[in-house]
Amino acid sequence: MPEIIAIIKDALPYLLSGGLITAGIVTGAMALGLILGLSMAVGRVYGSTAVKRVIGIYVWFFQGVPILVLLFLFYFGVFNYMGLNLSAVSAVTVVLGMTTAAYQANIFRGAILSLPQGQFKAASTLGMSDIQTILAIILPQALRLSIPAWSNEFSIVLKDSALAFVLGAPEIMARAKFVASRTYQHLPIYIVAGLIYFILTWAGVRALARLEKTVRIPGYSNKGI
Amino acid sequence: MFKKNLIVWFGIMALLLTGGGQALAGKKIVNGIDANFPPFAFIDQKGTPSGFDVEAMNWIAKEMGYEVEHKAYDWDGIITSLLTKKIDMVASGMSITPDRLEKVAFTSPYWKIKQVMVIKKDSALTLDDLLKGNKTVGVQQGTSEAKWLKEAAEKNGWNLQLRYYDSSPLAVEDILNGRIAAAAMDDAPAKDASDKKDVKILGTFGMASEDFGYAVRKEDAQLLKDMNEGLKRLMASDYWKELVKKYDLK
Repeated sequence: MPEIIAIIKDALPYLLSGGLITAGIVTGAMALGLILGLSMAVGRVYGSTAVKRVIGIYVWFFQGVPILVLLFLFYFGVFNYMGLNLSAVSAVTVVLGMTTAAYQANIFRGAILSLPQGQFKAASTLGMSDIQTILAIILPQALRLSIPAWSNEFSIVLKDSALAFVLGAPEIMARAKFVASRTYQHLPIYIVAGLIYFILTWAGVRALARLEKTVRIPGYSNKGI
Repeated sequence: MFKKNLIVWFGIMALLLTGGGQALAGKKIVNGIDANFPPFAFIDQKGTPSGFDVEAMNWIAKEMGYEVEHKAYDWDGIITSLLTKKIDMVASGMSITPDRLEKVAFTSPYWKIKQVMVIKKDSALTLDDLLKGNKTVGVQQGTSEAKWLKEAAEKNGWNLQLRYYDSSPLAVEDILNGRIAAAAMDDAPAKDASDKKDVKILGTFGMASEDFGYAVRKEDAQLLKDMNEGLKRLMASDYWKELVKKYDLK
């Protein structure tokens, strides 16, 4: 037992810095997913038929193909053909970002569609353009409504990032494996890795719950309007 | 017609330019390692790549005027990573096999390795029990022993079941858990396992010994030449004996 504790103590800083890499991957992926996903949601609700179809195919593709396959496909295939020599960490970030964008597009689309359609007409009678209405009326409400589902998506992406090792990105899981291979203490090391994931998830979900509370408009909810 | 030629011409120019750029940048190389392969390659307490192959490669790089960086990759995809230029070479206990020689070039051999069966320390199993007694044997995916065992079992009518693992330490873990009866692996990692866990080496199982070499892309003739020269100098030096002793390889 003291031997195991010594090994864990030894490995902890190494695993924790893997946690930083994981956090970096997830932050990047969620940010990319937010930008892409939000634009796709708006396009899918208000865009022309062609736009809707293209976005539909994108969402269908990234939802339908396993992340592991996407990682190989893009890292060894697409990025290589495009002449992009991305590092493993950035490749994982981009692929996870594009994947979560598909899911986030659905989250935001659902939130936009849950708003009463009359708001759009009301805004246009006030002389607001479509873009003004989307930016100033629709999105501020839709984004607030999306936070719980978005926080779900965050915890899923965080755990999906453990797949990054197949490309050699030195995140938590990869580092746990290295330490376990050297010390032959698989179980204790993986428990520590699991705890680090748990803490990261908990911190992120808590922060988003707090954000939800902070941005809430007192007395307003879209229920029953 | 002229337009078409122009496009081809630009294509060739672009290829030459990018190709030329790479040749000029040549001195910094990335070595892909399987960090789950102690004592040849692993990640040490400080989190830096270490092991017999890593230290040997550092010496060679210094000797031959290269700057080397070691990056850990999944063993399964390491040849793909080499071919798609994510890494420039693999110096990480890679056996020279005919299959691999079709895709990559190898330096001259630097280490001879035997494949052995590892079993629980208190087990009384014999090799015959393992091969013909309907037992499950673990192997690391993508290794030469995995391929050999599968083919030999079919040819000789052995009824052993193979179970594939990501790394041989994981297979050792499953021996201790009782899920598999034995694991086949290279002798050096097997010794490392038997030093650290309650397993022992049963012995070889009929597979011919293999040679380790450094793998490089076939078109990198200069790198191959430099690595061969570096290996030759290293193996003639005292540092080589020191390394062998340090990692307890003989």
